[in-house]
Amino acid sequence: MKRLVLKDLSKTYFDPYAGAHVTAVQEVSLEVKQGEFVSVVGPSGCGKTTLLNMIAGFIPASGGEILLDERAVDGPGPERGVVFQSFALFPWKTVLENVAFGPKIRGLSRTEREKIAREYLDLVGLANVAERYPNELSGGMQQRVGVVRALANNPDVLLMDEPFASVDAQTRMTLQEELTRIWQERRPTIIFITHDVGEAVFLANRVVVLSKGRILKEIEVTLPRPRAWDLLTEDAAFKALSGQVLQLVRSA
Amino acid sequence: MPRSSHLWAALKFIAPLALLLLLWELLIRTFGVSPRVFPDVESVARAGFESIQDGSLLRHTGASLWRVAVGTVLAILISIPLGVAMGVSPAVSNFLTPLFRFFSVLAGIAWIPIATLWFGYGFGAITFVIFNAVFFVVTYNTLLGVASIPLPLRHAAASLGASKWTMLTEVLLPGALPNIVTGIRTGLGFAWRGLIAAEMIATNVGLGYMLFLARDFYRTEVIVFGMVVIGILWLLLDRLLLAPLERATIERWGMVRKA
Ligand SMILES: Nc1ncnc2c1ncn2[C@@H]1O[C@H](COP(=O)(O)OP(=O)(O)OP(=O)(O)O)[C@@H](O)[C@H]1O
Ligand SMILES: [Mg+2]
Repeated sequence: MKRLVLKDLSKTYFDPYAGAHVTAVQEVSLEVKQGEFVSVVGPSGCGKTTLLNMIAGFIPASGGEILLDERAVDGPGPERGVVFQSFALFPWKTVLENVAFGPKIRGLSRTEREKIAREYLDLVGLANVAERYPNELSGGMQQRVGVVRALANNPDVLLMDEPFASVDAQTRMTLQEELTRIWQERRPTIIFITHDVGEAVFLANRVVVLSKGRILKEIEVTLPRPRAWDLLTEDAAFKALSGQVLQLVRSA
Repeated sequence: MPRSSHLWAALKFIAPLALLLLLWELLIRTFGVSPRVFPDVESVARAGFESIQDGSLLRHTGASLWRVAVGTVLAILISIPLGVAMGVSPAVSNFLTPLFRFFSVLAGIAWIPIATLWFGYGFGAITFVIFNAVFFVVTYNTLLGVASIPLPLRHAAASLGASKWTMLTEVLLPGALPNIVTGIRTGLGFAWRGLIAAEMIATNVGLGYMLFLARDFYRTEVIVFGMVVIGILWLLLDRLLLAPLERATIERWGMVRKA
Protein backbone atom coordinates (compact mmCIF):
# COMPACT_ATOMS: atom_id res chain seq x y z
CA MET A 1 0.00 0.00 0.00
CA LYS A 2 1.60 3.28 -1.09
CA ARG A 3 0.89 6.22 1.12
CA LEU A 4 1.69 9.89 0.82
CA VAL A 5 2.46 11.41 4.18
CA LEU A 6 3.06 15.08 4.93
CA LYS A 7 4.60 15.77 8.34
CA ASP A 8 4.62 19.31 9.72
CA LEU A 9 5.26 20.66 6.26
CA SER A 10 6.10 24.37 6.17
CA LYS A 11 7.19 26.94 3.62
CA THR A 12 8.39 30.47 4.21
CA TYR A 13 9.12 32.80 1.33
CA PHE A 14 11.20 35.92 1.53
CA ASP A 15 9.23 38.77 0.07
CA PRO A 16 11.81 41.25 -1.27
CA TYR A 17 9.22 44.06 -1.60
CA ALA A 18 8.04 43.86 1.97
CA GLY A 19 11.52 42.93 3.11
CA ALA A 20 9.95 40.28 5.31
CA HIS A 21 9.34 36.55 5.47
CA VAL A 22 5.91 35.25 4.49
CA THR A 23 4.71 31.93 5.81
CA ALA A 24 2.70 30.35 2.98
CA VAL A 25 2.32 26.86 4.44
CA GLN A 26 2.52 26.18 8.16
CA GLU A 27 2.97 22.77 9.75
CA VAL A 28 0.63 20.90 7.48
CA SER A 29 0.25 17.21 8.30
CA LEU A 30 -1.79 15.04 6.00
CA GLU A 31 -2.03 11.41 5.03
CA VAL A 32 -3.31 10.27 1.65
CA LYS A 33 -3.89 6.57 1.09
CA GLN A 34 -3.48 4.78 -2.18
CA GLY A 35 -6.51 5.22 -4.40
CA GLU A 36 -7.88 8.15 -2.43
CA PHE A 37 -9.22 11.29 -4.07
CA VAL A 38 -8.46 14.31 -1.90
CA SER A 39 -9.46 17.88 -2.70
CA VAL A 40 -7.67 20.80 -1.10
CA VAL A 41 -9.79 23.92 -1.06
CA GLY A 42 -9.21 27.37 0.33
CA PRO A 43 -9.31 31.07 -0.47
CA SER A 44 -6.81 32.73 -2.75
CA GLY A 45 -3.37 33.02 -1.20
CA CYS A 46 -3.95 30.36 1.48
CA GLY A 47 -0.98 28.33 0.22
CA LYS A 48 -2.59 25.70 -2.03
CA THR A 49 -0.17 26.07 -4.92
CA THR A 50 2.78 26.27 -2.55
CA LEU A 51 1.68 23.02 -0.91
CA LEU A 52 1.28 21.24 -4.23
CA ASN A 53 4.59 22.55 -5.59
CA MET A 54 6.39 21.16 -2.57
CA ILE A 55 4.80 17.74 -3.04
CA ALA A 56 5.66 17.87 -6.74
CA GLY A 57 9.23 18.74 -5.78
CA PHE A 58 9.28 22.02 -7.71
CA ILE A 59 10.19 24.00 -4.60
CA PRO A 60 11.96 22.84 -1.44
CA ALA A 61 10.13 22.80 1.87
CA SER A 62 11.35 25.08 4.64
CA GLY A 63 10.48 22.50 7.26
CA GLY A 64 8.87 19.11 7.76
CA GLU A 65 8.81 16.04 5.57
CA ILE A 66 7.10 14.58 2.54
CA LEU A 67 7.12 10.79 2.46
CA LEU A 68 5.89 8.70 -0.42
CA ASP A 69 5.84 5.03 0.37
CA GLU A 70 8.07 5.72 3.40
CA ARG A 71 10.66 7.44 1.24
CA ALA A 72 11.47 11.16 1.43
CA VAL A 73 10.59 13.15 -1.65
CA ASP A 74 13.43 15.11 -3.20
CA GLY A 75 12.79 17.09 -6.38
CA PRO A 76 10.31 16.23 -9.13
CA GLY A 77 9.88 12.59 -10.15
CA PRO A 78 7.72 10.37 -12.31
CA GLU A 79 6.00 8.74 -9.31
CA ARG A 80 4.27 12.11 -8.76
CA GLY A 81 2.43 13.12 -11.92
CA VAL A 82 1.31 16.72 -12.30
CA VAL A 83 -1.56 18.32 -14.21
CA PHE A 84 -1.07 22.05 -14.68
CA GLN A 85 -3.58 24.87 -14.79
CA SER A 86 -1.83 26.14 -17.92
CA PHE A 87 -1.93 22.61 -19.45
CA ALA A 88 1.84 22.76 -20.12
CA LEU A 89 1.68 20.58 -23.22
CA PHE A 90 4.79 20.59 -25.38
CA PRO A 91 3.82 22.65 -28.44
CA TRP A 92 6.44 20.95 -30.63
CA LYS A 93 5.09 17.48 -29.91
CA THR A 94 1.89 16.06 -31.32
CA VAL A 95 -0.87 15.05 -28.93
CA LEU A 96 0.26 11.45 -29.23
CA GLU A 97 3.90 12.33 -28.59
CA ASN A 98 2.90 14.39 -25.57
CA VAL A 99 1.04 11.47 -24.00
CA ALA A 100 3.76 9.01 -25.00
CA PHE A 101 6.51 11.17 -23.53
CA GLY A 102 6.47 9.63 -20.05
CA PRO A 103 6.59 6.05 -21.39
CA LYS A 104 9.32 7.16 -23.80
CA ILE A 105 11.43 8.38 -20.88
CA ARG A 106 10.83 5.04 -19.18
CA GLY A 107 12.48 3.45 -22.19
CA LEU A 108 9.50 1.83 -23.87
CA SER A 109 9.74 1.14 -27.59
CA ARG A 110 7.84 3.30 -30.03
CA THR A 111 5.13 0.71 -30.65
CA GLU A 112 4.64 0.04 -26.95
CA ARG A 113 4.45 3.66 -25.91
CA GLU A 114 2.19 4.66 -28.77
CA LYS A 115 -0.14 1.83 -27.91
CA ILE A 116 -0.36 3.08 -24.35
CA ALA A 117 -0.82 6.68 -25.48
CA ARG A 118 -3.64 5.74 -27.86
CA GLU A 119 -5.35 3.74 -25.15
CA TYR A 120 -5.31 6.75 -22.83
CA LEU A 121 -6.42 9.13 -25.56
CA ASP A 122 -9.32 6.77 -26.17
CA LEU A 123 -10.24 7.06 -22.51
CA VAL A 124 -11.02 10.76 -23.01
CA GLY A 125 -12.34 10.46 -26.56
CA LEU A 126 -9.38 12.09 -28.24
CA ALA A 127 -8.07 9.24 -30.37
CA ASN A 128 -9.02 11.16 -33.50
CA VAL A 129 -6.74 14.11 -32.76
CA ALA A 130 -3.64 12.08 -31.87
CA GLU A 131 -1.61 13.46 -34.77
CA ARG A 132 -2.53 17.10 -34.16
CA TYR A 133 -0.45 19.69 -32.38
CA PRO A 134 -1.74 21.09 -29.06
CA ASN A 135 -2.33 24.58 -30.43
CA GLU A 136 -4.91 23.12 -32.82
CA LEU A 137 -7.05 21.92 -29.88
CA SER A 138 -9.60 23.70 -27.70
CA GLY A 139 -8.73 24.39 -24.07
CA GLY A 140 -10.90 21.53 -22.84
CA MET A 141 -9.27 19.09 -25.23
CA GLN A 142 -5.81 20.31 -24.25
CA GLN A 143 -6.51 19.69 -20.59
CA ARG A 144 -7.82 16.20 -21.34
CA VAL A 145 -4.46 15.59 -22.97
CA GLY A 146 -2.77 17.06 -19.90
CA VAL A 147 -4.64 14.65 -17.64
CA VAL A 148 -3.94 11.51 -19.66
CA ARG A 149 -0.33 12.51 -20.25
CA ALA A 150 0.14 12.38 -16.49
CA LEU A 151 -1.93 9.18 -16.14
CA ALA A 152 -0.11 7.36 -18.94
CA ASN A 153 3.01 7.45 -16.79
CA ASN A 154 1.29 5.48 -14.04
CA PRO A 155 2.19 7.79 -11.18
CA ASP A 156 1.64 6.79 -7.55
CA VAL A 157 0.03 10.17 -6.97
CA LEU A 158 -1.59 12.57 -9.40
CA LEU A 159 -1.23 16.22 -8.40
CA MET A 160 -3.63 18.69 -9.95
CA ASP A 161 -3.50 22.46 -9.37
CA GLU A 162 -6.77 24.08 -10.45
CA PRO A 163 -6.61 22.14 -13.72
CA PHE A 164 -10.07 23.15 -14.89
CA ALA A 165 -9.94 26.81 -13.84
CA SER A 166 -9.19 28.13 -17.31
CA VAL A 167 -11.93 26.41 -19.32
CA ASP A 168 -15.54 27.52 -19.69
CA ALA A 169 -18.20 26.41 -17.20
CA GLN A 170 -19.84 23.76 -19.40
CA THR A 171 -16.53 22.17 -20.36
CA ARG A 172 -15.47 22.29 -16.73
CA MET A 173 -18.48 20.22 -15.65
CA THR A 174 -17.81 17.68 -18.38
CA LEU A 175 -14.16 17.43 -17.38
CA GLN A 176 -15.10 16.98 -13.74
CA GLU A 177 -17.46 14.14 -14.62
CA GLU A 178 -14.83 12.55 -16.83
CA LEU A 179 -12.28 12.77 -14.05
CA THR A 180 -14.57 11.04 -11.55
CA ARG A 181 -15.27 8.33 -14.13
CA ILE A 182 -11.55 7.81 -14.79
CA TRP A 183 -10.90 7.74 -11.07
CA GLN A 184 -13.55 5.07 -10.59
CA GLU A 185 -12.13 2.94 -13.39
CA ARG A 186 -8.44 3.22 -12.52
CA ARG A 187 -8.31 4.38 -8.91
CA PRO A 188 -5.30 6.68 -9.16
CA THR A 189 -4.39 8.57 -6.00
CA ILE A 190 -5.30 12.19 -6.61
CA ILE A 191 -4.64 15.43 -4.79
CA PHE A 192 -6.80 18.06 -6.39
CA ILE A 193 -6.30 21.75 -5.63
CA THR A 194 -9.18 24.14 -6.20
CA HIS A 195 -10.78 27.28 -4.82
CA ASP A 196 -14.19 26.09 -6.07
CA VAL A 197 -16.10 24.51 -3.19
CA GLY A 198 -18.61 22.70 -5.42
CA GLU A 199 -15.81 21.19 -7.47
CA ALA A 200 -13.96 20.05 -4.35
CA VAL A 201 -17.01 18.27 -2.93
CA PHE A 202 -18.16 16.87 -6.27
CA LEU A 203 -14.85 15.17 -7.00
CA ALA A 204 -13.36 13.99 -3.76
CA ASN A 205 -13.63 11.36 -1.05
CA ARG A 206 -12.21 13.87 1.36
CA VAL A 207 -12.04 17.65 1.32
CA VAL A 208 -9.22 19.41 3.11
CA VAL A 209 -9.91 23.05 3.91
CA LEU A 210 -6.79 25.18 3.98
CA SER A 211 -6.66 28.55 5.68
CA LYS A 212 -3.67 30.86 6.00
CA GLY A 213 -1.32 27.99 5.35
CA ARG A 214 -2.88 25.65 7.91
CA ILE A 215 -5.37 22.83 7.65
CA LEU A 216 -8.63 24.13 9.07
CA LYS A 217 -10.65 20.95 8.75
CA GLU A 218 -10.92 17.65 6.89
CA ILE A 219 -14.34 16.52 5.75
CA GLU A 220 -15.24 13.06 4.46
CA VAL A 221 -17.43 12.99 1.37
CA THR A 222 -19.52 9.85 1.17
CA LEU A 223 -21.72 10.84 -1.75
CA PRO A 224 -22.45 7.82 -3.95
CA ARG A 225 -20.66 7.32 -7.27
CA PRO A 226 -20.84 7.63 -10.18
CA ARG A 227 -21.33 11.32 -9.64
CA ALA A 228 -23.05 13.47 -12.21
CA TRP A 229 -24.00 17.12 -12.04
CA ASP A 230 -27.54 16.38 -13.21
CA LEU A 231 -28.13 14.30 -10.10
CA LEU A 232 -26.05 16.18 -7.56
CA THR A 233 -27.03 19.78 -8.22
CA GLU A 234 -30.33 19.26 -6.42
CA ASP A 235 -29.07 16.59 -4.02
CA ALA A 236 -29.65 17.49 -0.37
CA ALA A 237 -26.51 15.80 0.95
CA PHE A 238 -24.36 17.49 -1.69
CA LYS A 239 -25.88 20.86 -0.90
CA ALA A 240 -25.39 20.40 2.82
CA LEU A 241 -21.74 19.39 2.40
CA SER A 242 -21.03 22.21 -0.01
CA GLY A 243 -22.65 24.68 2.36
CA GLN A 244 -20.56 23.42 5.24
CA VAL A 245 -17.32 23.66 3.28
CA LEU A 246 -18.25 27.07 1.91
CA GLN A 247 -18.78 28.39 5.43
CA LEU A 248 -15.40 27.08 6.49
CA VAL A 249 -13.71 28.63 3.46
CA ARG A 250 -15.41 31.97 3.99
CA SER A 251 -14.59 32.03 7.67
CA ALA A 252 -10.99 31.26 6.80
CA MET B 1 0.56 26.14 -53.59
CA PRO B 2 -0.93 25.77 -57.04
CA ARG B 3 1.25 26.35 -60.07
CA SER B 4 -0.35 29.61 -61.06
CA SER B 5 0.33 31.22 -57.71
CA HIS B 6 4.02 30.26 -58.00
CA LEU B 7 4.05 31.97 -61.34
CA TRP B 8 2.34 34.99 -59.89
CA ALA B 9 4.87 35.16 -57.06
CA ALA B 10 7.75 34.93 -59.52
CA LEU B 11 6.20 37.65 -61.62
CA LYS B 12 5.77 39.94 -58.64
CA PHE B 13 9.43 39.42 -57.84
CA ILE B 14 10.70 39.93 -61.37
CA ALA B 15 8.54 42.86 -62.48
CA PRO B 16 10.19 45.55 -60.34
CA LEU B 17 13.64 44.23 -61.29
CA ALA B 18 12.78 44.44 -64.96
CA LEU B 19 11.57 48.00 -64.43
CA LEU B 20 14.85 48.85 -62.72
CA LEU B 21 16.88 47.47 -65.62
CA LEU B 22 14.79 49.46 -68.07
CA LEU B 23 15.18 52.71 -66.15
CA TRP B 24 18.87 52.12 -65.75
CA GLU B 25 19.47 51.64 -69.47
CA LEU B 26 17.23 54.60 -70.25
CA LEU B 27 19.07 56.95 -67.92
CA ILE B 28 22.51 55.90 -69.14
CA ARG B 29 21.47 56.59 -72.72
CA THR B 30 19.60 59.84 -72.25
CA PHE B 31 22.33 61.44 -70.21
CA GLY B 32 25.26 59.75 -71.95
CA VAL B 33 26.76 58.64 -68.63
CA SER B 34 30.47 57.77 -68.82
CA PRO B 35 31.25 54.08 -68.12
CA ARG B 36 33.75 55.38 -65.51
CA VAL B 37 30.82 56.68 -63.47
CA PHE B 38 28.27 53.95 -64.10
CA PRO B 39 28.16 51.11 -66.63
CA ASP B 40 25.34 50.21 -69.00
CA VAL B 41 23.41 47.00 -68.66
CA GLU B 42 25.15 45.22 -71.51
CA SER B 43 28.70 45.75 -70.25
CA VAL B 44 27.69 44.51 -66.83
CA ALA B 45 26.30 41.39 -68.42
CA ARG B 46 29.50 41.01 -70.43
CA ALA B 47 31.64 41.46 -67.32
CA GLY B 48 29.57 38.79 -65.64
CA PHE B 49 29.96 36.45 -68.55
CA GLU B 50 33.72 36.97 -68.66
CA SER B 51 34.11 36.37 -64.95
CA ILE B 52 32.25 33.13 -65.32
CA GLN B 53 34.36 32.09 -68.30
CA ASP B 54 37.76 32.82 -66.76
CA GLY B 55 36.67 31.19 -63.48
CA SER B 56 37.27 34.28 -61.36
CA LEU B 57 33.62 34.49 -60.26
CA LEU B 58 33.71 30.93 -59.03
CA ARG B 59 37.00 31.54 -57.24
CA HIS B 60 35.81 34.70 -55.47
CA THR B 61 32.38 33.33 -54.65
CA GLY B 62 33.86 30.06 -53.45
CA ALA B 63 36.29 31.83 -51.15
CA SER B 64 33.54 34.02 -49.72
CA LEU B 65 31.08 31.19 -49.16
CA TRP B 66 33.75 29.01 -47.60
CA ARG B 67 34.60 31.71 -45.05
CA VAL B 68 30.94 32.22 -44.26
CA ALA B 69 30.40 28.49 -43.85
CA VAL B 70 33.40 27.99 -41.56
CA GLY B 71 32.70 31.08 -39.44
CA THR B 72 29.00 30.32 -39.16
CA VAL B 73 29.30 26.63 -38.37
CA LEU B 74 31.96 27.29 -35.73
CA ALA B 75 29.86 30.04 -34.20
CA ILE B 76 26.69 27.93 -34.12
CA LEU B 77 28.49 24.95 -32.62
CA ILE B 78 29.72 27.04 -29.74
CA SER B 79 26.87 29.48 -29.25
CA ILE B 80 23.95 27.06 -28.98
CA PRO B 81 25.36 25.01 -26.08
CA LEU B 82 26.60 28.21 -24.44
CA GLY B 83 23.24 29.92 -24.87
CA VAL B 84 21.39 26.92 -23.46
CA ALA B 85 23.73 26.65 -20.49
CA MET B 86 23.27 30.32 -19.68
CA GLY B 87 19.54 30.34 -20.34
CA VAL B 88 18.80 27.49 -17.94
CA SER B 89 19.51 29.65 -14.92
CA PRO B 90 17.32 32.78 -14.70
CA ALA B 91 19.92 34.55 -12.61
CA VAL B 92 22.72 33.93 -15.11
CA SER B 93 20.56 34.80 -18.09
CA ASN B 94 19.28 38.04 -16.53
CA PHE B 95 22.83 39.00 -15.72
CA LEU B 96 24.26 38.27 -19.15
CA THR B 97 21.40 39.36 -21.41
CA PRO B 98 22.40 43.07 -21.64
CA LEU B 99 25.96 42.09 -22.40
CA PHE B 100 25.02 39.83 -25.27
CA ARG B 101 22.50 42.29 -26.58
CA PHE B 102 25.28 44.88 -26.68
CA PHE B 103 27.63 42.63 -28.61
CA SER B 104 24.79 41.57 -30.89
CA VAL B 105 24.21 45.09 -32.13
CA LEU B 106 27.92 45.58 -32.71
CA ALA B 107 27.31 43.21 -35.62
CA GLY B 108 30.19 42.05 -37.78
CA ILE B 109 31.69 45.15 -39.30
CA ALA B 110 32.84 46.79 -36.10
CA TRP B 111 35.14 43.85 -35.46
CA ILE B 112 37.20 44.30 -38.64
CA PRO B 113 39.97 46.55 -37.24
CA ILE B 114 40.55 44.31 -34.23
CA ALA B 115 40.35 41.20 -36.39
CA THR B 116 43.10 42.42 -38.73
CA LEU B 117 45.24 43.40 -35.77
CA TRP B 118 44.92 39.96 -34.22
CA PHE B 119 44.92 37.73 -37.27
CA GLY B 120 46.66 39.79 -39.93
CA TYR B 121 45.20 39.86 -43.41
CA GLY B 122 43.46 36.81 -44.80
CA PHE B 123 41.26 33.89 -43.91
CA GLY B 124 41.62 34.16 -40.12
CA ALA B 125 40.58 37.78 -39.82
CA ILE B 126 37.58 37.45 -42.11
CA THR B 127 36.36 34.23 -40.55
CA PHE B 128 36.70 35.87 -37.15
CA VAL B 129 34.47 38.74 -38.27
CA ILE B 130 31.85 36.28 -39.48
CA PHE B 131 32.18 34.20 -36.36
CA ASN B 132 31.49 37.22 -34.18
CA ALA B 133 28.58 38.38 -36.26
CA VAL B 134 26.88 35.01 -35.85
CA PHE B 135 28.15 34.07 -32.41
CA PHE B 136 26.73 36.89 -30.32
CA VAL B 137 23.39 37.04 -32.06
CA VAL B 138 22.83 33.27 -31.89
CA THR B 139 24.01 33.03 -28.29
CA TYR B 140 21.75 35.92 -27.33
CA ASN B 141 18.76 34.42 -29.10
CA THR B 142 19.37 30.94 -27.71
CA LEU B 143 19.64 32.38 -24.23
CA LEU B 144 16.42 34.29 -24.78
CA GLY B 145 14.72 31.24 -26.26
CA VAL B 146 15.58 28.97 -23.36
CA ALA B 147 14.73 31.61 -20.77
CA SER B 148 11.34 32.17 -22.37
CA ILE B 149 10.28 28.53 -22.20
CA PRO B 150 7.40 28.58 -19.71
CA LEU B 151 8.49 27.09 -16.39
CA PRO B 152 5.52 24.67 -16.29
CA LEU B 153 6.90 22.98 -19.43
CA ARG B 154 10.16 22.26 -17.66
CA HIS B 155 8.25 21.16 -14.57
CA ALA B 156 6.05 18.91 -16.69
CA ALA B 157 9.05 17.18 -18.23
CA ALA B 158 10.73 16.76 -14.84
CA SER B 159 7.53 15.26 -13.41
CA LEU B 160 7.42 12.79 -16.27
CA GLY B 161 10.86 11.63 -15.24
CA ALA B 162 13.08 13.52 -17.68
CA SER B 163 16.80 13.35 -17.00
CA LYS B 164 19.02 16.40 -17.56
CA TRP B 165 19.89 15.12 -21.01
CA THR B 166 16.25 14.47 -21.96
CA MET B 167 15.36 17.90 -20.67
CA LEU B 168 18.00 19.36 -22.98
CA THR B 169 17.10 17.46 -26.12
CA GLU B 170 13.33 17.24 -25.70
CA VAL B 171 12.47 20.53 -24.03
CA LEU B 172 15.19 23.17 -24.00
CA LEU B 173 16.46 22.82 -27.56
CA PRO B 174 13.09 22.41 -29.30
CA GLY B 175 11.63 25.14 -27.09
CA ALA B 176 14.39 27.54 -28.03
CA LEU B 177 14.54 26.47 -31.68
CA PRO B 178 12.35 29.24 -33.12
CA ASN B 179 14.58 31.81 -31.43
CA ILE B 180 17.71 29.97 -32.49
CA VAL B 181 16.64 29.94 -36.13
CA THR B 182 15.75 33.62 -35.98
CA GLY B 183 19.16 34.26 -34.46
CA ILE B 184 20.94 32.37 -37.21
CA ARG B 185 19.03 34.28 -39.84
CA THR B 186 19.82 37.65 -38.27
CA GLY B 187 23.42 36.68 -37.58
CA LEU B 188 24.03 35.51 -41.11
CA GLY B 189 22.63 38.81 -42.39
CA PHE B 190 25.21 40.64 -40.28
CA ALA B 191 27.90 38.18 -41.30
CA TRP B 192 27.25 38.61 -44.99
CA ARG B 193 27.64 42.39 -44.76
CA GLY B 194 30.66 42.04 -42.51
CA LEU B 195 32.18 39.60 -44.96
CA ILE B 196 32.03 41.94 -47.92
CA ALA B 197 33.45 44.82 -45.90
CA ALA B 198 36.22 42.70 -44.44
CA GLU B 199 37.15 41.28 -47.82
CA MET B 200 37.65 44.80 -49.15
CA ILE B 201 40.30 45.40 -46.57
CA ALA B 202 41.82 42.16 -45.51
CA THR B 203 42.35 39.73 -48.37
CA ASN B 204 43.13 39.12 -52.01
CA VAL B 205 40.30 36.82 -52.95
CA GLY B 206 36.54 36.94 -52.40
CA LEU B 207 33.56 38.94 -53.63
CA GLY B 208 34.42 42.01 -51.57
CA TYR B 209 37.94 41.93 -52.91
CA MET B 210 36.61 41.56 -56.45
CA LEU B 211 34.67 44.82 -56.02
CA PHE B 212 37.55 46.63 -54.47
CA LEU B 213 40.05 45.53 -57.07
CA ALA B 214 37.76 46.60 -59.91
CA ARG B 215 37.56 50.04 -58.37
CA ASP B 216 41.31 50.49 -58.81
CA PHE B 217 40.86 49.99 -62.57
CA TYR B 218 37.66 52.02 -62.90
CA ARG B 219 35.86 48.82 -63.95
CA THR B 220 32.43 49.99 -62.84
CA GLU B 221 30.79 47.12 -64.76
CA VAL B 222 32.64 44.59 -62.59
CA ILE B 223 31.72 46.50 -59.44
CA VAL B 224 28.05 46.54 -60.34
CA PHE B 225 28.12 42.92 -61.38
CA GLY B 226 29.69 42.02 -58.02
CA MET B 227 27.02 43.95 -56.17
CA VAL B 228 24.35 42.07 -58.05
CA VAL B 229 25.97 38.74 -57.21
CA ILE B 230 26.26 39.65 -53.51
CA GLY B 231 22.60 40.62 -53.38
CA ILE B 232 21.39 37.57 -55.25
CA LEU B 233 23.44 35.14 -53.18
CA TRP B 234 22.01 36.57 -49.98
CA LEU B 235 18.48 36.49 -51.34
CA LEU B 236 18.89 32.86 -52.34
CA LEU B 237 20.34 31.90 -48.99
CA ASP B 238 17.67 33.77 -47.07
CA ARG B 239 14.63 32.93 -49.17
CA LEU B 240 15.44 29.32 -49.97
CA LEU B 241 17.01 28.22 -46.70
CA LEU B 242 16.61 30.52 -43.71
CA ALA B 243 13.14 31.98 -44.14
CA PRO B 244 11.43 28.63 -44.80
CA LEU B 245 13.26 27.12 -41.83
CA GLU B 246 12.09 29.92 -39.59
CA ARG B 247 8.55 29.73 -40.84
CA ALA B 248 8.44 25.97 -40.43
CA THR B 249 9.50 26.01 -36.79
CA ILE B 250 7.37 28.93 -35.73
CA GLU B 251 4.17 28.24 -37.62
CA ARG B 252 4.04 24.51 -37.12
CA TRP B 253 4.01 24.81 -33.39
CA GLY B 254 1.90 27.93 -33.31
CA MET B 255 4.60 29.55 -31.27
CA VAL B 256 5.01 33.21 -32.05
CA ARG B 257 8.17 34.51 -30.55
CA LYS B 258 10.00 37.73 -31.02
CA ALA B 259 13.77 37.91 -31.00
N1 LIG C 1 7.64 32.88 -4.92
C1 LIG C 1 7.04 33.52 -3.89
N2 LIG C 1 7.70 34.49 -3.23
C2 LIG C 1 7.11 35.14 -2.19
N3 LIG C 1 5.87 34.88 -1.76
C3 LIG C 1 5.16 33.94 -2.38
C4 LIG C 1 5.70 33.21 -3.50
N4 LIG C 1 4.76 32.32 -3.93
C5 LIG C 1 3.69 32.49 -3.14
N5 LIG C 1 3.92 33.45 -2.20
C6 LIG C 1 2.98 33.87 -1.15
O1 LIG C 1 2.58 32.73 -0.44
C7 LIG C 1 1.20 32.76 -0.16
C8 LIG C 1 0.52 31.52 -0.73
O2 LIG C 1 0.59 31.53 -2.15
P1 LIG C 1 -0.02 30.37 -3.05
O3 LIG C 1 0.29 30.70 -4.45
O4 LIG C 1 0.44 29.07 -2.53
O5 LIG C 1 -1.57 30.56 -2.78
P2 LIG C 1 -2.81 29.81 -3.46
O6 LIG C 1 -3.63 29.25 -2.37
O7 LIG C 1 -2.35 28.89 -4.51
O8 LIG C 1 -3.59 31.04 -4.10
P3 LIG C 1 -4.48 31.06 -5.45
O9 LIG C 1 -5.80 30.46 -5.09
O10 LIG C 1 -4.62 32.53 -5.71
O11 LIG C 1 -3.74 30.32 -6.49
C9 LIG C 1 0.66 34.06 -0.73
O12 LIG C 1 0.62 35.00 0.30
C10 LIG C 1 1.70 34.45 -1.74
O13 LIG C 1 1.77 35.84 -1.86
MG1 LIG D 1 -2.63 28.74 -6.69
